[in-house]
Amino acid sequence: MTQPIRILFIDDEERILRSLAMQFRRHYEVLTESDPQRALQRLQDEPVQIVVCDQRMPKMNGAQLLTRAQEIAPQTLRILLTGYSDLDAAVEALNGGGIFRYLTKPWDPQEMALTLRQAAEVAVRQSQVASLPASACPATALSVLLLDEAADTQACVEAFCQAGGHRLLRAASLDEALAQLNAEPVDVLVSDLRLAGEDTAPLLKSLAQAHPRLLSLVVTPFCDTQALLRLINEAQIFRYLPKPVRRGLFDKGLQAAAEQVARWRAEPVVPPARLAEAPKEAREREKVGSLLGLLGRLRQRLTV
Amino acid sequence: MSSSALARLLKPVAALPAAMSISDVADRLLTAEHKDFLSLPVVDDDGRPLGLVSRSKLQDIFMQRFGRDLWGRRPVVEVMNPQPLIVSLETGLEEAARQITDQLQYPIVEDFVLVDGEGRYRGLGTVLDLLKAMEDRIAQRNRVLRKALIELRESQTQLVQAEKMASLGQMVAGVAHELNTPLGYVKNNVQLLRELIGPLFELAEAQAALGDCLNAADADEQALANALENAALARERAAPEMLAGDLEQLFADTQYGLEQIGELVVGLKDFARLDRAMSEEIDLNECVRSTLVIARNGIKDKVEVLTQLGELPRIACAPSQINQVLLNLLNNAAQAMERFGRILVRTWAEPDALCLSVQDNGCGMPPEVLKRIFDPFYTTKPVGQGTGLGLSISFKIVQDHGGSIRVASEVGRGTRFLIRLPLGQAATLQRSA
Repeated sequence: MTQPIRILFIDDEERILRSLAMQFRRHYEVLTESDPQRALQRLQDEPVQIVVCDQRMPKMNGAQLLTRAQEIAPQTLRILLTGYSDLDAAVEALNGGGIFRYLTKPWDPQEMALTLRQAAEVAVRQSQVASLPASACPATALSVLLLDEAADTQACVEAFCQAGGHRLLRAASLDEALAQLNAEPVDVLVSDLRLAGEDTAPLLKSLAQAHPRLLSLVVTPFCDTQALLRLINEAQIFRYLPKPVRRGLFDKGLQAAAEQVARWRAEPVVPPARLAEAPKEAREREKVGSLLGLLGRLRQRLTV
Repeated sequence: MSSSALARLLKPVAALPAAMSISDVADRLLTAEHKDFLSLPVVDDDGRPLGLVSRSKLQDIFMQRFGRDLWGRRPVVEVMNPQPLIVSLETGLEEAARQITDQLQYPIVEDFVLVDGEGRYRGLGTVLDLLKAMEDRIAQRNRVLRKALIELRESQTQLVQAEKMASLGQMVAGVAHELNTPLGYVKNNVQLLRELIGPLFELAEAQAALGDCLNAADADEQALANALENAALARERAAPEMLAGDLEQLFADTQYGLEQIGELVVGLKDFARLDRAMSEEIDLNECVRSTLVIARNGIKDKVEVLTQLGELPRIACAPSQINQVLLNLLNNAAQAMERFGRILVRTWAEPDALCLSVQDNGCGMPPEVLKRIFDPFYTTKPVGQGTGLGLSISFKIVQDHGGSIRVASEVGRGTRFLIRLPLGQAATLQRSA
């Protein structure tokens, strides 16, 4: 490590900041701010690798702040730390702020330490490659795997693939999806949380480990905050799009995914950009384990 | 169904020809089968009613001296009422009743004539039967209405309960979340304290070992040197001088956090007032304060709340209900903010009432919205985000306290709610919601 990792904690409660600073000052260079505007100014002025931000603060909420943070310093890893399990905040922070983790208060000290270690690991790897601006990356043809039978999702994804000259693959069941993933290179996955009566969350979580550069867009009518939090932390999904599908939001999500893939392709050395948490639930962990086995050929191809 | 209702009143009575003598008519009226009728119908050759001849008319005639001799042989048309009440069988019961009562004269001396669609005589109806039929119908309507009323009351109770649960749920969630902040750092601090004092124990142990070594008569140089070095190392690791500041801070913050948690729990208790009677001598300012403790965190990213609480006499009220009204007004005001805004809560006393105003600088309401805000189920929020009952329940709560709630609003400038609670109204306080 050439330079220490700098973490900026943002919370309107000074005692939270003091507590976190005291916990992590031995391992990282810790910065704290209780005012969102000053925090953003600081991101503009100084290099910061990780931002950990409270959700409910006067004048600006955490999701808004992290959205601004992504614009100012796209390289930072953004983490939301909140006492509220708030679906809207989670969706906004994911879709707008591209968060790395969604943590809840009160936090477990060990878990927080692990999360920051993982974030630091990604930050170190990222720092070895200079990120290119989107304009410098030529648009490139993707291959998109669609795991949703709904007509409006199909229409959106078909239109996007046609317009951009992308390749569209489909699967009607988990087995078909596994076969496609093993056989074909896939850049973007668009998936409902249910496919032919099966839960796709374990697949998304397996892919976060087996194929860290695959971007997953989840399209779902379900609004379960806890499930979304686990998808953020354990599957590192790229976007969460509510059903019924909103065309504009959907297109923006797909576009952002295309730009991200283009940026990765333009980079000479490729660090894995994702680092997901292992599923907390034992049964799901098992399922992910067996799916990882089934994705053997995909993993083999990626390690070559 | 209505026409059949009238048909049920029909009594087939043989009509009299126009030429029938008054004497014969009188004889017929005396027969048993006609004794229930006040009058008999007279029809033309085509069966159309010409009039009604009444028992009372004939009695008048026969009561005159030589009445029967003078009038007996004359045709009935001369003494009949040529403009009787004629009702078509196709008329509905209510309409028939209306027509008949409109034209009825006192004393009632005639029945009414029932005709078919072509206007031909079909039979007689008596006013008494009509009244009975109407009474039955009204009784039936009343039963239906009473049932509807009971159902309506039940569903209203359920809705009011649902709204109460919704606001209570929101409040509990808000407080639970607010507890998470102090809980977060208290929990972390305790863990940190545990880690920080580890080296202190090691230092104490090393120093105790050194002490033992110094006291021991047979201690050799090497052991003493080791003990000295261990103690010095432990001292370096523990750095008690630096630790003191950290520990002081951690303990102070932890204590503050625990007090904060305690305050929230008290706030919750004060807010719900579950342990107190419905109505008592209450300080309205206390209601404002405890509601703010509850509401603060949920709205702090949208608004700043300022208070100007005046000196108030105590008032008889149901504090948990007043708190519900206040929480509703604060949440509404916060939701009306397009950008970070301000809410001003004021209380003051007037000679005969206490006043409380909640004023925001949010988006305001146009007159067409303003006019309807107290209507049940009226909401401007997206489906699933509001029951539309909050303000109508607030209205009812204030009304039950004998008070009034008024609102003024201007689009783009904000909204102000003013609640007036009269003093000395304890007796009129109703139990509600």
